[in-house]
Amino acid sequence: MADLIELVEVSASYGRIEALSGVSLKVSEGKVVALLGANGAGKSTTLNVISGIVPATKGDIRFRGKSIRRLGSDKIVGAGISQVPEGREVFRDMSVHENLLIGAQLRNDRAGIERDIEIMAGHFPVLSKRFKQMAGTMSGGEQQMLLIARALMARPKLLMLDEPSLGLSPLLVQQIFDIIVKLHREEKLTLLIVEQNAAVALAVSDYAYILENGEIAVEGRSADLAHDDSVRNAYLGT
Amino acid sequence: MELEVLSLFLQQGIASGLVTGSIYALLALAIVIVFRTTDVANFAEGEVYMASAYLAFFLIAIVSMPFWIAVPATVFAVLIGASLFQRVVLTQVAAAKGVSVNLVIATLGLSYVLKGIVRATGFGDTPRSFPSVMGEGSVTLGSASLTYLDLTILGAALAIMAVFFWMFNYTKIGRAMRAVGMNRRASQLVGINLGHVQMLVWGLSGAISAVAAILIAPKLLMTADMGVVVTLAFAAAIIGGFTSLPGAVVGGFIIGITENLVGLFVSSRAINVAPFVVIMLVLIFMPQGLFGGKVRVRKV
Repeated sequence: MADLIELVEVSASYGRIEALSGVSLKVSEGKVVALLGANGAGKSTTLNVISGIVPATKGDIRFRGKSIRRLGSDKIVGAGISQVPEGREVFRDMSVHENLLIGAQLRNDRAGIERDIEIMAGHFPVLSKRFKQMAGTMSGGEQQMLLIARALMARPKLLMLDEPSLGLSPLLVQQIFDIIVKLHREEKLTLLIVEQNAAVALAVSDYAYILENGEIAVEGRSADLAHDDSVRNAYLGT
Repeated sequence: MELEVLSLFLQQGIASGLVTGSIYALLALAIVIVFRTTDVANFAEGEVYMASAYLAFFLIAIVSMPFWIAVPATVFAVLIGASLFQRVVLTQVAAAKGVSVNLVIATLGLSYVLKGIVRATGFGDTPRSFPSVMGEGSVTLGSASLTYLDLTILGAALAIMAVFFWMFNYTKIGRAMRAVGMNRRASQLVGINLGHVQMLVWGLSGAISAVAAILIAPKLLMTADMGVVVTLAFAAAIIGGFTSLPGAVVGGFIIGITENLVGLFVSSRAINVAPFVVIMLVLIFMPQGLFGGKVRVRKV
């Protein structure tokens, strides 16, 4: 299948500190790809470079064959790439309903937006009961679900999730991943998942990359990596 | 003091206070929206207000433009000017990656430039009076009396606030402005163009300042230093918590009414001190301001 997104030798830095050096990866349409690695390996930076929030200093990023490297973050969302950021970045003083509406900020099809809000209420029953509640007053798991729903409101082709399991109980992690897998199956959504929880990420993904110090150290089919002892010992800590 | 006089003073003080307070409220709104969405305390606010008054004066009294053209022309010109200042100057200063105080210094620079321009035209040398289109005459409400001009100021200011609150709370662009004020990164991730929103907010703040200037100018003698009145708008913003729009409005009215009541009941010499006493009281008893909310501990 065709590559939806491809990173070619991408480098990025924060001031003088190089965060990514020559990272190449691709995600084929309809697949789930995991991006693993330790803290500070460059996982979030990779997503932020794709989202246009951190500039790439070298290399190219192609979405459906076209370079998006120099596009602004708003144009990238418009092109069909949404990110679910880590760290509960909901709009705290807006209601759940408004957080969903703002996810559709670039869309103008009123009826479609209303319909999608209904769909989100179906995917995330917890949210539907709390449409009027301020997002900042919800629990961590609920905020994580709201973030996923907010990103989906833009109707992305590629959904990137940054550590969706961070700080959540095993039960909630299971719930969130169940929803993610369901979305992938039902909506044919292509996923790029950044995780420290390698076991969960390898279980749901088709292919995986492991980042180490801003470079891709290992890549391969998730099923193979999950059973490779050297990979497990060196990177996955199991 | 007799009861009748007391009641008269009280009513007149509140009525006049609402009029001047509505201007402080507009200017405080201009300060607060800019601070919320761009993190800059705009120390040129007073000079934007002053320059707007002079621009309107120039168009009406010197160019002899009809009032109904000169007013929108002034508001539009200030809107564009303020937007350009954000776009051209502030984004450059921010890109230079200095400390954030540089942005504040840039607004101080703007205030000197605007004052310099007004002085250079020569119109600022002597106090000028702004032509009023309102007829002479007044209306009595209870025992308070307000001129037609006063009523126009209060009515127009309230109308502008109503439109502004509607826009901020119920439109797509208003939602984007609030989003940028809450979380810039998340705003970018939902596809909001930060640069556009910030430029628009500066433009809007300029437009509100221009309206305030045109409304109050006929009641004042214009000088190049008339912008100092914005100190009171800052006071209003602080009382309201500095990030709250309703807070800015309530703060504006509190300052306006306090000034007038102190002038009537205490002494006209005490007027200048009164707003600062109010600020001190608010900061001592409610350090977050009236609408500042609770202190939120942020996890980093």
